[in-house]
Amino acid sequence: MPKLVIDDTEIEVEPGIKVIEAAARLGIIIPRFCYHPALGSVGACRVCAVMFLEGPFKGVQMSCMIEAQDGMIVSTTDKEAVDFRKHVIEWLMINHPHDCPVCDEGGHCLLQDTTISGGHGNRRYLGNKRTYPDQNLGPLIQHEMNRCIHCYRCSRFYQEFTGYHDLGVLGIGNHTYYGRFNEGTLESPFTGNLSDLCPTGVYTDKPSRYFGRRWDYQRSASICINCSLGCHTTVSIRYRQVKRQEARFNEAVNGYFICDRGRYGFFYASHQSRPRQARLNGEEVSFAQAMDAAERRLGEFDPSVIAVAGSLRSTLETQAALKHLCQVKGWKGPVLFAEPKTQHSVQTAVKRLEPHLAISLKEVEESDFIIVVGADPLNEAPMLAMAMRQAQRKGARIVLLDPRPISLPFDFLHLPVPPDKLGVYLGSFIKSAVDPETANDLEKKAAEFYHNVPADIVTDIRSELVSPAIHGLRSSRRPVVVCGTDIVPTPLPAQAADVALFLQAVGKKAGLFYVLPGANAFGAGLLSTGGQSFTELIEDIENGTVKALIVAESDPFWYFPDRYRLARAIDSLDLLLVVDYIGSEAARRAHIFVPASSLYEAGGIFINQEGRVQAGPQAFLGGIPISETGAGDHPPRQYGARIPGSEDLPAWSVLADLAVADSQGSQPLGRTDIWKWLVAFLPEFENLNSFQQIPEEGVRFNLRTNTSQHFAAKWSSQAENKIERENNLELILVEWTFGTEELSALSSCLHELEWEPCMYMHRRDAGDLNLRDGDRVAIHIDNLSLEIHLQVVENMAPGLLIVPRHRQLNWQVFGPGKILIGRNWIQKAT
Amino acid sequence: MYPQVLFQNRKPDRIATLDEYRQSGGYRALTDVLKNYSNKDVQQAVMDSNLLGRGGAAFPTGMKLMSVADDASFPRYIVCNADEMEPGTFKDRVLIHADPHMLIEGIIIAGFASLAEKGIIFIRPEYENAAGILEREIEIARKEGYLGENILGSEYSLEIVVHRSAGRYICGEVTALMNALMGKRPNPMKPPPYPTEKGLWNRPTVLSNVETFACIPHIIRNGGQWFKDLAKTEKGAGTKIFCISGKVQHPGCYELPLGIRLSEIIEKYAGGMLDGSEFKAFLPGGASTQFLPNQFYDIEMDFDSLRQAGSRLGTGAIMIFDHKTCLVGATLNLIEFFARESCGWCTPCREGLPYIRDLLHRIESGEGKREFIPMLERMSKHLWSAYCAFAPGAISPVEGLLNHFKDEVEEHIRLNTCPFK
Repeated sequence: MPKLVIDDTEIEVEPGIKVIEAAARLGIIIPRFCYHPALGSVGACRVCAVMFLEGPFKGVQMSCMIEAQDGMIVSTTDKEAVDFRKHVIEWLMINHPHDCPVCDEGGHCLLQDTTISGGHGNRRYLGNKRTYPDQNLGPLIQHEMNRCIHCYRCSRFYQEFTGYHDLGVLGIGNHTYYGRFNEGTLESPFTGNLSDLCPTGVYTDKPSRYFGRRWDYQRSASICINCSLGCHTTVSIRYRQVKRQEARFNEAVNGYFICDRGRYGFFYASHQSRPRQARLNGEEVSFAQAMDAAERRLGEFDPSVIAVAGSLRSTLETQAALKHLCQVKGWKGPVLFAEPKTQHSVQTAVKRLEPHLAISLKEVEESDFIIVVGADPLNEAPMLAMAMRQAQRKGARIVLLDPRPISLPFDFLHLPVPPDKLGVYLGSFIKSAVDPETANDLEKKAAEFYHNVPADIVTDIRSELVSPAIHGLRSSRRPVVVCGTDIVPTPLPAQAADVALFLQAVGKKAGLFYVLPGANAFGAGLLSTGGQSFTELIEDIENGTVKALIVAESDPFWYFPDRYRLARAIDSLDLLLVVDYIGSEAARRAHIFVPASSLYEAGGIFINQEGRVQAGPQAFLGGIPISETGAGDHPPRQYGARIPGSEDLPAWSVLADLAVADSQGSQPLGRTDIWKWLVAFLPEFENLNSFQQIPEEGVRFNLRTNTSQHFAAKWSSQAENKIERENNLELILVEWTFGTEELSALSSCLHELEWEPCMYMHRRDAGDLNLRDGDRVAIHIDNLSLEIHLQVVENMAPGLLIVPRHRQLNWQVFGPGKILIGRNWIQKAT
Repeated sequence: MYPQVLFQNRKPDRIATLDEYRQSGGYRALTDVLKNYSNKDVQQAVMDSNLLGRGGAAFPTGMKLMSVADDASFPRYIVCNADEMEPGTFKDRVLIHADPHMLIEGIIIAGFASLAEKGIIFIRPEYENAAGILEREIEIARKEGYLGENILGSEYSLEIVVHRSAGRYICGEVTALMNALMGKRPNPMKPPPYPTEKGLWNRPTVLSNVETFACIPHIIRNGGQWFKDLAKTEKGAGTKIFCISGKVQHPGCYELPLGIRLSEIIEKYAGGMLDGSEFKAFLPGGASTQFLPNQFYDIEMDFDSLRQAGSRLGTGAIMIFDHKTCLVGATLNLIEFFARESCGWCTPCREGLPYIRDLLHRIESGEGKREFIPMLERMSKHLWSAYCAFAPGAISPVEGLLNHFKDEVEEHIRLNTCPFK
């Protein structure tokens, strides 16, 4: 291990560490602009120059470019090095505008800090400043090129790190320009990171433009709940308005970056449509009145006809409260999933994610072979695509088995396999990468697994195209199986787990990574065991066995795939009680509506898809933004004791009140009670003791290893219904990066980024139906129809129709379960 | 008259044909190499000749060829740098127009020495004529069996393509050139890895200047000692094509022994100074070398002695300035070029050069201040800590100006005007 001396202090670091990092470990922060731990060293800005006094390098050198070596003596305060750094700052400032007072970066600007700490106060340069035209880069990022100091972070991040190419470097010399060839909205779904990365104000956050300085904001750690990955963020709030979200470093989950869906997915919290007032039969009432009415009305029903529902975005506390209500009150539920298939898949995933298989997003980056099955990374969990890209940049080979036309910003092998064949293809693929002799030597269950996997498809996929991938798996040491749970057949999550187990059995350090269909789907999987899904609940409502429904942090109108049937059922209820923080359709139809606090106001626990229990703390006290209560953004001139619109309580608290409603003289319940309930359901939580004790980086929820489920997945291929296939196309509903996730769909700045909803169809099927790419088609189902643009592609499995659950699309016409569309139901719209 | 090696077939009005080249002994070296040499033998022969790269950096060519490891991966590349953009330099163009097959043979032999499968001539787009000539003559060479599969019946195969640069000065820098060839921005890359280890598409790549390649057939044919003897000085080796421009009677391209005295070049070959002009200063090797004053009028023009004088032989492009020329103005002119041609990668070069240009411009136009001189001195020094060798080269004329002609600069400031106007 190299030992060196930096500013008279000795330090020993592992080989490969750059001097700038070694110094940072001593608390010496050498100035930097181009250097970023995630992007590496390139030596462009030259501001990290230090003096190398002894060792293999001598003189003024860049500390980011030189690895720490034995015998180095480095001075960061040497006169010559300091003078050089001062010159670098002066050079950068000859063209940087003096517009800090009107620049959104002012106050948290690396250039500002470095200029001031470097002592550059007097301008010696007498020439004019260089100017550039700016570009409109879309709704998220404001471009102000005059401020640019040419650190190349933006282009390196955009092109090298994320793999998109519509933003880059143009021109040469003193006129080097960073932007797009033609002005226009950036194509990458990771653009918000530019405003985090830029060391000055070239790229600033557009939605929060001119709203406040860093110190004006209430800033708090938070977590992202716009997909199941649970990336770490920092939220900024001013004038009671959640205004900005940035990436927060977390080594195991998101690293330094987050996606745009997550970054800009918070607008629901301060949305104008957010209901702040309790309502009773459409009339605004006080919180207490609504709660009184709720307790009274619920008391009128026999417990057996009351059901409770949450969702995959409900906090763990809410889910636990719902479960507790069912236990103590004898109510039905909790119903947390839309359909039994998803419920089953997620529950299987949760059960099978044993500690020795589970890996973090960071570990995906470290893998050398990734096989994705039934998941669309960029659309379902964008940061997963980023992690995969980093693995691919380091040499990992990536294979994707999925029926959808998937695009990713890196090279991968896509086998468009129909959903019901995903499992056998996965099994066959693994089988072809392992010799029978090796398999025979394995322990009995693993060997049996090998022989049970159907082999007939192996020959089918052993083509020229696939063999390099099979070879890649053969030689890999850290393969990862990524398995989706949304569009996949129910046996797949278990099969994926068995495959990962098998790869471990043959000596690989294999990992398993599920993608789940919601921020707290893992929690829902843990707490809804034995319960129904919404599909079965609807039947209960229809046949009158459920007459009252409590819905907490959930909008069935968003996720249930038959809106008309749902509306009929809901309208037939004697009581609908909705507790939520968004103005959903369910909230509009509620007999009693109770406003709930959002994550930012109440805090909350979510378990991400790797089983990482993470707590988002309370960020502010809530209330209606001043922009709505006052005149414009001005602070109020009348002062009151209470914050307008802050009557809401966390949903779990509302539910807890209902739980104790008829027990005499009971105290209001708090988080500790919820914790007790949680531990009752999930003894694994006992070690955590309380909400506050969840560490900032989260803690892995580890179910005990259950060897009886190992290698128990069934591999029999479903008998193919030939007639069914010939007459019908199967329609599958899918997620898109933008427009299909409930909370981020309320962010108007993301609307511009949504693609126009379309239906994908394979060229062969389109040919059969005489349809062409770009046609507007109508699908007629009973009396309903869905009109949609057709996109004809070749990189998908034939026999399918693929439709996004898009907010602009009235897709909830198909009903639950497998959706078969007769070929003659699809017609060109007139 | 000194022996003409590279220019032996140079004609006033046309290029030498293949037959003319062959009559002068052309392609005999290649035939001999493919029959009797191993690739290591060729490397050794070039090593023994002390041939130094003629593109400006003067790196030993033999050492470059030897640095391709025996077990290095394939395909390997041999690249000829014909991106001649150093102000004052035009030797490569003249050489290609004089005898293109000499270059082609040199590339093939060097390609064999590194077992390259693909040769690329990276040429400045303004040299469209030369590019056309090379493409035509490469085709002729291919038909004669000097290129393509199994050259002259041997095991060795090589293809050469001509690639036109997109046309910036920095593309002539080795690593920037490789980036340009790979379709990337031509930013230099700091080695390691070195191009001979991981060059184009991470494969071993040997890259040299036109004149360097042209020397190789002669070295093979006549031996290293003969090549060394061509030079006038002890340590020098070979002839050098000097491009002489400025205030002389006969500016032009002359092939002369390395180590020849500047006075001899000016008086005997360039026809002396222009009438009414007195020798004042010169740039010995292109725009990115230091001015030297008249006490160096007799200097031996080779790598070592110019280094000792504080300048460089560079490309051998000698610019002569007379007593009526303002060197502040001349330096400003050169800095204009370099400030424009900086690739924009690192701060000292991208921002420092325009800063220096501004200071020089003010001095030249009578707005100079005394404190500009220490500023110029500090910044010139700091430009040596730029990312690549561009900025140290670019700043050389400024350093020469400050080292040898500070009086002239101070006079500008004192008079508040340019004394030459």
